[in-house]
This record gives sequence, structure tokens and C-alpha cells, in this order.
Amino acid sequence: MGYEREAGGRGMSYLELLNLAAPEAIIALAALAVLAADMFALRELELHFRLAISAMISCVGCVAAIGWMLALPEHGNVMGGIFIVDPLGQLVKIGLLVLTLFTILISLESNFTVHAGEYFALVLLATAGMMFLVSTADVLMIFISLELTSLSLYMLTAFDKRDVQSAEAALKYFLFGSMSAAFTLFGLSLLYGLSGSTSLEQIAASIRGPRLDPLLVLALVMTVIGLGFKVAAAPFHLWAPDVYQGAPAPSAAFIASGSKVAGFFVLARVMATGFKGAEGSGAWHGYLPGWVPLLAVLAGLSMVVGNFAALVQTSVRRLLAYSAIAHAGYMLIGVLAYGGSGLASLLYYSLTYGLTTLGAFGVVAVVQQQTGGDRLSDFAGLSRRSPGLAICMMIFILSLAGIPPLAGFVGKFYMFSEVLRPGSPGMGLLWLVVLAIALSAVSLYYYLQVLKQIFVAPSPGAGTWVSVAPVTQQVVLGALALAVLLLGCFPGWLVQRLAGAMAPG
Amino acid sequence: MKIGVEHYLTVSIILFCLGLLGVIVRRNLLVIYLSLELMLNAANLALVAFSRFNNDLDGQVFVFFVITVAAAEVAVGLALIVALYRKRRTAHVEDLTLMKL
Repeated sequence: MGYEREAGGRGMSYLELLNLAAPEAIIALAALAVLAADMFALRELELHFRLAISAMISCVGCVAAIGWMLALPEHGNVMGGIFIVDPLGQLVKIGLLVLTLFTILISLESNFTVHAGEYFALVLLATAGMMFLVSTADVLMIFISLELTSLSLYMLTAFDKRDVQSAEAALKYFLFGSMSAAFTLFGLSLLYGLSGSTSLEQIAASIRGPRLDPLLVLALVMTVIGLGFKVAAAPFHLWAPDVYQGAPAPSAAFIASGSKVAGFFVLARVMATGFKGAEGSGAWHGYLPGWVPLLAVLAGLSMVVGNFAALVQTSVRRLLAYSAIAHAGYMLIGVLAYGGSGLASLLYYSLTYGLTTLGAFGVVAVVQQQTGGDRLSDFAGLSRRSPGLAICMMIFILSLAGIPPLAGFVGKFYMFSEVLRPGSPGMGLLWLVVLAIALSAVSLYYYLQVLKQIFVAPSPGAGTWVSVAPVTQQVVLGALALAVLLLGCFPGWLVQRLAGAMAPG
Repeated sequence: MKIGVEHYLTVSIILFCLGLLGVIVRRNLLVIYLSLELMLNAANLALVAFSRFNNDLDGQVFVFFVITVAAAEVAVGLALIVALYRKRRTAHVEDLTLMKL
């Protein structure tokens, strides 16, 4: 039922509000603490210690926020959906915090910046933005938190000031991102005009009948363009390969994982809640205008463009970027299965994808530090140089490709079966699922290309040197690989939690 | 002639398209920034007009937030231009060609 606006009457006290927003407040405080510590206490220390101490403060903040949510599960709804705290949102926030935690840990050994405090503070601020993004059903809050996240991510992309590529990537990201923000904003302003309210529920209530208002169609298209940029769906993907290649590896990993999860969650929420009643149909013979056929076309395009462009890449980061575009296509299929357990399947897929891609970028970061490049040939003979790293990379790559015991396979299987579940609005999208499965087979080629370099190709040069990745990196990457493996073998653990959080009451 | 919400909406759509055209056609980064601001302000105009004709103040509050966010965005954007200029001595998009397929 619609959230009632509190008119006068019983407002919410600030203390109550702070109690609901405590996890976000903790993260923001941690960001400030990192900045302050770096400014007042750590300036004279060696870079290594500065990074370690700043990372430790950030990790404490993340763990405290996770602990708060686990210990005190709150429920509440501030001012008609501006800030919603519910079990599902909290679960997604915990997932986002875990991704942030791993991002912080893989940045620990990095040497691309001397501004340790600022770096971790920006990571935390981006996380706070994503957390707000998943806990609101109001277009104003969606816009503001989207911008908080994006602005932090632009800066994280530009953080390697010695590298020309980093600045260029950040500028491209900024230009595309701001344009998408303008599109989103214009779409949202039209929605406000049509419904007279900024709440998604009220907006949905103003949509009547199967015949759509032309302005509503314009609003829908603009919102989808804007959010499509954010999640890097084709044909709005042009920034992604450059950013993934030019940004410092931990930043790229964060953009590929955390912001994807939050972006897809908000896309699903805007479509399923805000455009309820304007679904249309994307069935092969039963086309009806609405957001389902629109997203179905984007999904198909993303999968085709991503998978085929990845085939010809020689830089592993660009390859991961195109694979991310293809995965955005798969996840759009999950958005189409919204409602009930459809959303659970989307969240399972995006969270496990986040973990996997974080791990893959972590390995790329280590290899790049050792060999100075991220080309496929730089991975040649990795299995002889550092077997542990090679096995981790194998798990990540096979999971991305969707090979059975790993999380990537379970996620795809779960999501595709949800779309075809009778009663799902995605029913009739069989053509899309068939396309997705066919293209997964294509993707196997370029994923195996990476593995061939790692395990079969001979090491360049002498090939005798044994490189030892830093212990922390090995432990973190090992933990990520284990998580991907375990979530694949025992998917019920996460799926039941997601489904339980979604159950009403 | 009575000025209605559709007139404001038309102007705002024209402004948005002009901004978009500027982003696509112009080659200087600073001019592109100006065009981006134009796109945001087109949305602002639509919001204020809707707010006036819907008799609801939410739209105007929205605009205040958008203006603030736009200011932050410009700060970040200019910092990025400076970072690029220090490395490359250029502020033109044709020169952003280091990474290609």
C-alpha cells in the first residue's frame, strides 16, 4: 500500500532518523576520521604505514556498520519513502559493505598514490552514496545519492596522478556520467510533473491504463538512458572499457562491483515500483510498448556487443570491461524477472558477480605491479610464477564464464529460470534467454584465452623467477576465490536470506 | 495568450536538446561543461514549472538540491580538466585518444 505522507502531525524526531540511518552515518564518520587521521597524525609516516592505518580505520567503519545492522535490525519509512529501512535493503547494504571491505583490502599494497587518507575517504563516501541509493524510493534522493556515488567514483578513477591514462579515463567517465545524470534528472522531472509527487509509489499510481502518455514514454526513455549509462549497458557503454583500463586497479574493481550492485538495485526499483503499470510486453509475437521490451532490447544489445567486442581484446582489463558489459546484459534479464523471487535472483547474481570481478581485478593489479602491464602476454606462465594466484584467477574466470560448481553458473541458472517462471512479466522472453545462453558459449572463448595464457603459454624471458605476491593480497584473493566457490556450491545460504528478507511482514 | 505548463515544458525540452547538441558537437571541454550545465538547468526549469502548476513545493526544493549538486559536479569536473591539462597541455576532446579499441 502507498506510504502516507506525514502532514504536520507526528513528525519524526532527529534521534529516530539518526537511529535508522546509523550505518550510513557510521560510514560517513569513518570517512571523516580517515581524513582527519591522515591530516593530523600520519603525514610523517612512511606510505606503507599510512595506507595500512587508513585502511584499518576504514575497515573498522565498515565492520561497525555491518555489525550495527546485524545486531539491531531496524524497520522504518521516513516521509513517504524518502528513506526506507527494510530487511532487503539492509541485506543489500551488508553486501555492499563487504564489497567495499574487499576493495579496501586489495588497495592495501597499492603504490599509485601518496594521498592515502583521501583515497579511502572517497571509497567510503561512494559507499555511503550507494547505501542511500538502495534505501530510498524517492526520485530526489535517488538523484542525490546517485551523484554522491558518481562524483566519488570520478575522483577515484583520476587518482593515479602520474598516469596520463588515469586522467583521461576519469574525464571520459565524467563527461558520460554527467550527461547520463542530466538525462536521469530530466526523466525524473517529467515523472514529477506527471504525478505531482517525487515518491515512486505516487508516480506509479498516476499511470493509468495500457495506453501510455507520450510524456510518460519520454520520461521512461530518458530515465532508462540515464540509468543505462550507470550500469554500462550497451549502447551506453562507451565509457566502461576506457575507465576499466585507465583507472587504478582497486578503483576499477570498485566501479565494476559495488556501483553495479547498487545501480541494478535502483534500476529494478525504479522500473518495478515507479513504472508499475507501464510494463508492456516483450514477447516475440505479443509486443506492447512499455519498459519490459525497452530493457529487453538493451539486454540483447549489451550481450551481443560485450561478448563479441571482448573476443578481440588483448588487454585483460578491457576484456574484463567488455565482459562486464555482457554481464550487464544478463543482469538486465534479471531486472525483467522482477517481483517475488525474481529480484532475489538479480541480487544473488549481482553480488556474486561483484565478488568475482573484484577478485579478477585484484589478480590483474598484482600482475600489473609485477610485470608492468595488463596485456594477455603479461599473464603468460603465471601458473609457474605464482600458482596460488593462478588458481584464484582460474576460479574467477570460470565463474564469470558460468562453469557449474561456481557462483556464476548458479546465478545465471537461477536468474534465467526466474524469468521464464509462469506469471513473471518476463514470460515470453524466451528468445532473450536463448540468446543469452548462446552468447555465454561465445564468451567461453575469450575467458579460456586468458586461462590458456596463464596455464599453457610459456613464461616470457628466463621464466625462472618466482614472484611472490604480498601475503595480504594472497589471503584476500584466496578468501574471494573461496567465497565464489562456496556460494556456488551452497547457493541456498544466500538465496534463502534474500528470499526471507523479501517476504512481507 | 495564456502561458501554460506546456509552454514551459517546450522551452525546457528545447534547452535540453541544445545542451545535448553542444555536448556532442563542441570540441572544447569547457564549452562541453557549459552545455552539460544547460542540460541540468533545462530539467530545473521543468521542475519549477511543474511545481508552480501542480501547486506543490516539492519541485522547488528539488531544484535547490540540483543546483547544489551541479556546483559540486563543476568542482570535480574542473579539477579533472586541470589534472589532464597538467599532463597533456590540452583541453580538447580530440586529444583524448590514448585508449582505443
